[in-house]
Amino acid sequence: MAVFMDLNVLFSADRKRMQSLIETAAHLGFSTVAINYVFEPTAKKKQEVPSPMPINELIGQLPVVQGRSRPIRVLNRLTVVMSEASHFRPNATEYRAFDLLAVQPTTEKLFHTTCMLCDVDIICISVTEKLPFFFKRAPINGAIDRGVVFELSYASALRDTTMRCYTIANSVCLMESCKGKNIILSSAAEKALELRGPYDITNLGVLFGLSDADSKEAVSSTCRAVLLHAETRKTASGIVYTMKSQQEVLEDSAGSEAPESQKRPKTPGEWGFGRGRTHS
Amino acid sequence: MCSQAAENEMESRMKPDGEKTEPPGYQRVVLKNASPHHYLKVRLLLEDESTRVSAVELKRFIISCLRGLHGEVGAALEVDVLKYDEETLSALLRVHSRGLVKLWSSLTLQGSYQNQACAFRVLQRDAAYSRSRSRS
Repeated sequence: MAVFMDLNVLFSADRKRMQSLIETAAHLGFSTVAINYVFEPTAKKKQEVPSPMPINELIGQLPVVQGRSRPIRVLNRLTVVMSEASHFRPNATEYRAFDLLAVQPTTEKLFHTTCMLCDVDIICISVTEKLPFFFKRAPINGAIDRGVVFELSYASALRDTTMRCYTIANSVCLMESCKGKNIILSSAAEKALELRGPYDITNLGVLFGLSDADSKEAVSSTCRAVLLHAETRKTASGIVYTMKSQQEVLEDSAGSEAPESQKRPKTPGEWGFGRGRTHS
Repeated sequence: MCSQAAENEMESRMKPDGEKTEPPGYQRVVLKNASPHHYLKVRLLLEDESTRVSAVELKRFIISCLRGLHGEVGAALEVDVLKYDEETLSALLRVHSRGLVKLWSSLTLQGSYQNQACAFRVLQRDAAYSRSRSRS
């Protein structure tokens, strides 16, 4: 059975609002949601990358997903809005705390570099403005080959008719180049009433220019591929990963955090052999 | 209309001899041809839950949703409100199968009703009327 995911629910400090959002998502049948922290660096002053709030602190008891009788899974996701190439730092330790990493490039050149080079999971397509550049085939094919996905969000289309025009226009424009592959549809909702059910979104995908099968994949299996891709970013291609053994954590609990480079072995005791997953 | 007659027939089949029998958990309906109509069971959620919406207002709102997204072509779609419950704001809509995507997408993309946030929740979608009835 397909498992539905909504990989973009905007973070707000209001606990009550977050709780109602996640409860609604579980009620609608989403088995995974990702709380999105947007980070928009400006040239003038240096800003701190937001740190994710622990899930159990944000919501006490996780609600049960309708029809699946198991609690909803909540992840953290960071979106970096890029207007300069230096805004995305590939090896920043702040990014490690997040499960998913997304970028939103604002110029054509940045779009090209993020598609071809940046080690991210999701590339957000702007839906609130007229597209400032034309999608070229080369970067999009490069991104598809690397397993990076493009994200379209629909919540802004609910707020305003002009936004709705831009959302549909930009998505149809994107579909021309990527042919419905590696697309995810997510909400970017701030309020519970801005969320829609998974089958509603599937139907909306048809309006955005996806085929029936592709639009169902856009809320289910492509999202799963994103999660697996995110796992490969943290590990050595998802096959080998490092973890601290329990003793070491006790010994240097006041000491350093996670090992600097996860691909370099430190001591044999630190290696754990992975779950045999290869990324799809 | 012939489809109306078929519905009445199905309805009478559901309740034999006016006696209240427990409806079966499922019913197998085989459609020889593609069904001409689709049935949507929807519920309107409003920010202010005390707002009353009459059946006429609902129909007008649905048509304005269609006009908003699909223009005149959308407004020309034949949508029927077969049943409507004012208490729960849930309705059973019938639409031509060809217009299903248009109706559904315009309901999905509607975010406000009379300057307050709203959402249509599609509870059920079916090609056969009897199935949308029996699972209610």
